[in-house]
Amino acid sequence: MARFIIRRTLYALVTLLILSLTIFMVIRLTGDPVTLLAEPGAHAEDLDRIRAEWGLDRSWPVQYLTFAKNVFTGDLGKSFNYDMPVSTLYFQRLPNSLELALAATLISFLIGIPAGLISAVKVNSVWDNTGKVIALFGLAVPGFWLGLVMILVFSVWLGWLPTSGQGSWQHLIMPAVALGWYFAASLLRLTRSSMLEVLRSEYIKLARLKGLPGYVVIAVHAFKNALIPVLTLAGVNLVVMINAAVIIEVIFAWPGIGRLLYEGIFQRDFPLVQGVVMEAGIMIVVINLTIDILYAYIDPRIRLTR
Amino acid sequence: MKWSYEHYRGASATLLQEKTQAIDIVSDGTVKFSFKEPFLEFPILMGTANVCGAGWVVPAKYYQKVGKDGFVQKPIGAGPYKLVAQDTGNKIEYEAFEGYYRPVHVKNFTIVSVPEAATRVAMVERGEADIAYGIPGELIERIKGNAKLMLAPVLSGSWWLEFPGFNDPKNPFNDKRVREAVSLTVDRKAINDAESGGMGRVSGNWINDDVEYVIDWPKWETNIPKAKELMKQAGFPDGFKVDWLTVVPNFFSRGERVISQLKAIGIQTRLQTMERGVYLKRMETGLKEWPGVQIIMNATRMGGSWSNWYEGMFKCGGFQSKDMICVKALDDKFAKYATSFDRAERNKLAEEIQKEILEQYYFVPVFRHAFLNVIGPRLKAAKWEDVFPTHLTSGYAYPWEDLQLKDTA
Repeated sequence: MARFIIRRTLYALVTLLILSLTIFMVIRLTGDPVTLLAEPGAHAEDLDRIRAEWGLDRSWPVQYLTFAKNVFTGDLGKSFNYDMPVSTLYFQRLPNSLELALAATLISFLIGIPAGLISAVKVNSVWDNTGKVIALFGLAVPGFWLGLVMILVFSVWLGWLPTSGQGSWQHLIMPAVALGWYFAASLLRLTRSSMLEVLRSEYIKLARLKGLPGYVVIAVHAFKNALIPVLTLAGVNLVVMINAAVIIEVIFAWPGIGRLLYEGIFQRDFPLVQGVVMEAGIMIVVINLTIDILYAYIDPRIRLTR
Repeated sequence: MKWSYEHYRGASATLLQEKTQAIDIVSDGTVKFSFKEPFLEFPILMGTANVCGAGWVVPAKYYQKVGKDGFVQKPIGAGPYKLVAQDTGNKIEYEAFEGYYRPVHVKNFTIVSVPEAATRVAMVERGEADIAYGIPGELIERIKGNAKLMLAPVLSGSWWLEFPGFNDPKNPFNDKRVREAVSLTVDRKAINDAESGGMGRVSGNWINDDVEYVIDWPKWETNIPKAKELMKQAGFPDGFKVDWLTVVPNFFSRGERVISQLKAIGIQTRLQTMERGVYLKRMETGLKEWPGVQIIMNATRMGGSWSNWYEGMFKCGGFQSKDMICVKALDDKFAKYATSFDRAERNKLAEEIQKEILEQYYFVPVFRHAFLNVIGPRLKAAKWEDVFPTHLTSGYAYPWEDLQLKDTA
């Protein structure tokens, strides 16, 4: 078990190393931040001074080593645009993103799991087809379009909900629905397929042969087991929603991490983009590592075969 | 003020430091600047915030006490409002400063950052906001269709076409007749109508008319037959192919309009879209980033003097001209201008240089676009200029203390 944990931890570190290199390179390929930091009439010496001030006059390897060393010590650097530590900005926004992600997860559960369950139990019925249509729309309709339509209908025309921003529970409804609907569709599809697989298994047939009532077979025996992959996906979805709800946060002016990343990209704020991506990467890698270790602990075959 | 000037590190800081000999505090209300030589740009630099920030006065004692980070978190100044709270990058809340020397009508004032334009308009429609800035052309009709809203089209930056590498004799734009033909083909009114709802301005000069020494220039004509004739004389009766037309991001639609208009004289090209940072980087790098035959639809808005425009956008080695547009005779004249202390001579040189650029079609001016904003029904305003009284120099509603709500007026 110890060897397994060490091996998986090393894989995780390599993943983070590759991620740090990738984001460091990619953000630098997109343009020069100095031209965005300077006034329109700036002279060459002004640009050089700004470059030196932010350490951008050094070679890429030197800049990368400084960045990697700082990440290792928990320092994500200082944002060019906000002139504040990236970690401060990130943790200021994290509760907002967490609030939105949890609400969206709840909505995706409320829509996706019951609809998936009904689709599987009533396979090839009207219910199943309705579920398929919901899933298709959820996956096909872009979040930004849905968001703008909701603002127009529920805020401007009906006047029921505030257009944007954060504050009361009413502010949360539209962004959570717009964000959660896509994930509801993916949960619906997974719940349906997982339930169908479980319903075809031998132990379900045995439960039915034992004369157990249908709802007990579905709720106690089938649904519980079908839920395992669904919850795993929901966990990953939650991390994605916290860190990458860029479009929804922009449309609804939600002050979360996604919007911070958006602003960082547009302003060529290298430390901000690097920091947000690294925080998200660390979060995903740590969660996956924990899940891997837990799986290996529960099922010894995993640690023996990998 | 002395402390702020001495600690200023922004644009033109090196120039200011090199030219300044001493700053003496004569009295509580007087500061005396002494220079090593005549420095005619000084008042313009000090008074034009989007060119140079040296004129911003920072409270020295407070800054030294709280440090740079503390000042960023809780700045203080001498304005009509004091900062109450700020949510970095999202919201800033202000409260009227009772001791201000003028009456401040709106007691609580909040600035919210809302990236999506359609959401900003919805906020004003619903009464959640009273002013929204930066409205794109596609939302004009929606605002015009709502009687409660008022559109505020503030004249802003100038747009023009430029031809990187036109000095090369093999480049078709090397021939003045071709550049003139381009100018005769561009339908500036149609572009203004489509892009700014007709609320921009079709003007003659590529430099805004609100800066020192700018010259007035008549409107350009659109004349396709004449343009075709010039193309024929230049040896391009059927036109030619331009590799790319690139427009300042994200105003791609106006680039498409120019491309479509240039087809009338046989100039075939495609729109090159790129992200703003990439565009700026390529402009800053120079000609090697613009190989072949290219057209750039560039734009800017700079205050102060015409020379800021020339130096940044046209001069060889400039911020966005680099080695793309090098006209030695004009740069020599500009060098003379920069070292001259005689106002009459400066004025004459400024006129000559601008005239030459326009007569030779080195730049082909297109239009001055309108920075569109929307005003909600709560604000007291008979016309949009009441909310934007300083619209000649700023695209934003200012001064804040003059804004009034209908209920409290």
